[in-house]
This record gives sequence, C-alpha cells and structure tokens, in this order.
Amino acid sequence: MPTIEIEGRTFEVDEDGFLQDPGQWNEEVARLFAKTEGVEEMTDEHWKLVNYIRNYYMEFNIAPMIRKLCKDTGFKLKKIYELFPSGPAKGACKVAGLPKPTGCV
Amino acid sequence: MSELQEKAINTEEEPQWEKLGTQEERKWPTKTEFTPEMLVEMEKMLPSKLNRVVAASLAGCIHCGMCSEACHYSVSIPEDKTLVPAYKADRFRKWYKYRYDWMAKVFPSFVGAKPLTKELADEMYDKLWGGCTMCRRCTFNCPMGVDYGMMVRAARHIMQKVGRIPQHLQDTVDTHYNHGNNMAVPQDEFVETIEWIEEELQSEDGCENFKIPVDKKGAQYFLTLNPREPKYYPLTIQATAKVLNAAGVDFTISSRYWDLTNYAMFNGDDADAKLFATWQAEDVKRLGCEYLLAGECGHGYRALRWELPNWVGGVPFKITSVMELMAEVIQQGRIKLDKSVWAGKRFTYHDSCNIARSGGVTEPQRLIIRACVDDFVELEHNREEGFCCGGGGGALAMPEFTPRRLAAGKIKADEIRATGANVVLQSCHNCTDQLKEIIHHYKIDAVVMNLAELAAPALVL
Repeated sequence: MPTIEIEGRTFEVDEDGFLQDPGQWNEEVARLFAKTEGVEEMTDEHWKLVNYIRNYYMEFNIAPMIRKLCKDTGFKLKKIYELFPSGPAKGACKVAGLPKPTGCV
Repeated sequence: MSELQEKAINTEEEPQWEKLGTQEERKWPTKTEFTPEMLVEMEKMLPSKLNRVVAASLAGCIHCGMCSEACHYSVSIPEDKTLVPAYKADRFRKWYKYRYDWMAKVFPSFVGAKPLTKELADEMYDKLWGGCTMCRRCTFNCPMGVDYGMMVRAARHIMQKVGRIPQHLQDTVDTHYNHGNNMAVPQDEFVETIEWIEEELQSEDGCENFKIPVDKKGAQYFLTLNPREPKYYPLTIQATAKVLNAAGVDFTISSRYWDLTNYAMFNGDDADAKLFATWQAEDVKRLGCEYLLAGECGHGYRALRWELPNWVGGVPFKITSVMELMAEVIQQGRIKLDKSVWAGKRFTYHDSCNIARSGGVTEPQRLIIRACVDDFVELEHNREEGFCCGGGGGALAMPEFTPRRLAAGKIKADEIRATGANVVLQSCHNCTDQLKEIIHHYKIDAVVMNLAELAAPALVL
C-alpha cells in the first residue's frame, strides 16, 4: 500500500491516490491532493465544495450525486468542472478524502 | 413526469420510492491470501467451469508466440516477458493440464503441468486480474483460436468464488446487487437528476420543447445509462437526449433498471450477471419498449447486445446502441449537422474492444464522425484490430494494479500522439477515464469526448 507523508504524518492511499481511511483527512491532505488533481490553490469556492462533499459523506457514508452538489452549494454544473478539472469523482471527492467510488471511474 | 410521481400527485401522497436491487444486502467475503482450504475449493470448482470454449482454449495453445505482438501489455512493457498472453494463460493452463492431460500423469514437466499451489494461485491472481483486460486482441491473432477472454473469465470466477478478487471490483458488483445499479444511485435522486437535466437541456437554444421522458410506457427505445452519468457526469445524458430529441426518436429512461453496466462480466460470476440482466430485461418488458438501447458504454453494449439474451434465455425486444441509432438518423436525414463548429480541430477515434472486436460495431461510429467533422485521422490500429486502451475488463476498478494499467496504455498513447489529434473520440466510460489518464500520464495535448458530445453541439435545430 503506497503512503504519502505530510508534516511527519503518514497517510495510506490506494494506487489511484484515494485516502484509505477517510477519518485521517485534514486540510493539509486536501491541499496536497488538490495539487495532484490540477488545483494549485484551494480557494473559498473549492473549500465550499469540498466541505459540502465531506459533510455529506460523514452523514450518509456515500458521495453526493452531482445534482445534490449543485443544488445545495448553488454552483452551476460548469463551475464544478472548472473548479476541479478532473471532475467531481476523481477530483473533488478525492480531495475531500472520500474512498474511490465504485463503477467506471 | 414519471409514473410514480403522477401517482403521487393523484393521491396527494409522497411518491413511494422503491428499494431497487435485492432486498437483503450482501457483502461478498473477500480474502487477502489463498489458503489451503481455498485451493481445495478451487479444485472442486474447476470441472464446472470447463465448457467447450474454455477447455479448447486451455488445451489448444501451441506456444507459437503470435500473441506477444497482439497484447497491449506485452507490446507496451516488452521487457516483462511474463506479460505475454501465452505465459499469462499458462498460469491457469498448468493447473488444467495437471488435472486433465494424460501426458501429465507420466511426465508432468514435459507438458508444463503443475499442481495448484499457493504460488501458482498467486501468479494466476496477478496475471489474470491485473495483467489482462479480456480485450481478446490475442484471440484475433491466435492460429489455434484460443479464446483468452473466456478462459480468463472462467479463471476469475474460480478465484472470485473463494474470495480472492480485487476488493474494489467486487464492491462494484456488490453495489449493483444491493442497489440495482453499480453506484448506489437511489430512485428518487435518479428521477430528480433526469428532471434537472431535462431543464438544463430545455434552456439550450432551440431545445425548449425537448423532453427526457421517464417511465414512458410503449416508448420505442428504452435508453440505458452508465451510473457515472447521473452520479457525476450528466452532460453526456444531456447530449444524448439532445440528439435523440432533434431526430424525433421516441425514447424513455426507466426510473428502475436504467444501468447498462454488468461488472459480473468482469468477475466471472454468471449468477450475478444473469440477475442484473434479468432485472433490466423485465424492466424493458414492463414499459413495453421495442428496443433496449445501450448508451455509449463498451462492456455495457456487449453485456446487453450479446450476453443478455443468453443469460436470461431469450427476450421479446430488440437490442441496439446509441451509436447505431445515431448513424441511422443521420443516414435518414433526420438530423442536420454543421461541421463548422469543430473546424480547426483534428479528431481520432478509439474503438472500445467490447463494441468493435467483441461486438462487431465499427462503421456507424465512423459515419457519425464524418458527418460532424472534416479532419478525422484513424489510429494506426483501428476497428477490430485496435489495441485496448488498458482500462477494460474491470481494470479501472483494481487500484492495486494501477501502475501496470498506466504502463500498458503506452501503445495507445503512442498511437494517439502519432495522429496529432486534439480530440480523442470513444464510446465507452471505462475508455474515457483510461484515455484521460494516459493522455495526462504520457503528456499528450488532447481531450476525450464521446460521440453524443461530438454530435450535440453540431446539431442544426
């Protein structure tokens, strides 16, 4: 199992770079993951999206549908792809510390 | 408006959403290592997996080496000789010969026979899950007609049955089993998503009257989707619906079994494959549609068009794909396309193995592309001769093999680069992500799109 190290702490990730234990997540992890997904700097809008996904996951144990994301954050669909160029599954959800989704992604 | 919502309005009750999938949820017990007990179980199971194709493929290899040039793993990673198809298949074949080849009773090593040990089982796991996408390109180049894909599927099922399967792949099958689609999309959220996409579509110029009917009884086409579309990438639904509306196609999307994927094709489990296929076939019958219409999805197309009728024992409806339907409406002049929207860009097309090589559909895609663009360049190997992108066979759902998956994508990346294309077209969600990843990994400047996304912006409405 590959690991990444941030400020002396070790985090286990799978080979696709998803955090193994979502409980280990913190903002530093998010910033680091964001860089690997083509997001150089996490703006307030990025955080709004990431925090929404994270809170939803903590409550329901599943990633929110894109419909929920748009409705509850007020972002347009296009905006979400702009914020995370690698898309909501591999981009935003990974940065939010969620495990790799099932299915064709 | 869906039937469920109509009912809800009439009775002034909240819609009664249905729990899809099985009523009792399951989590398949997976194992991280082969144990002696598991090997005993595998020995018991082997005979049940030996149908004519599998047995002939196990017995038939003459180790001529023709397959070494055919496989994207061995072509992309030539330094690793253990990735040559004949070698990979021998991890299974050695065990088969030990059990069934009479020569093995006398001189096992002479025919390369080996008993099933943990070591051999580990090699099977590594090569047959993580070293093969069941793309069957080697089969096309095999003088003995070894059906590598079917053989690997049999071996995978034997390993899956005793619990030795990449966790994420089995999770995908379990999710489908438990929820009726492989991303656990609940019925209410699905219907809401489709309504939202319908609104988005109607806000486009000239699309005010376009509809995405849910559960419309007697519609001609029962459109199926890949769960990643409603879950994360709904623009492909919008694009497909736009083309179908523009052509005046009478279609509907079910609120129940709209998922066209069948990951049991990848883990080899026929019982699950049949269950998922049956849910869908029954749903097409419920709505009384003339056609089951596969969306742009590689293994999904094959699972519906070529496997579903066998799994469920025949169906009273026809099965086709969005690619074929789109080509048909273009030929009939039912839509008008303006190539100028794509002027200045060069396009290439990657054939999904399950649509082209294992599905027989190669020309409708070209017809669509040529109607939409002027600058189209084929990959060096195309149609049924195309290399796998590296993401097929469930490979995308096996993160433990990701580095090898990306390495095996090199030949495809090289061929894409050689075309000088700005846009790589394809008709498969698995291919989409693998192509995006190898384009990024091998630093190629191109984007990936499917055919509906190509045609929708070019429509003259």
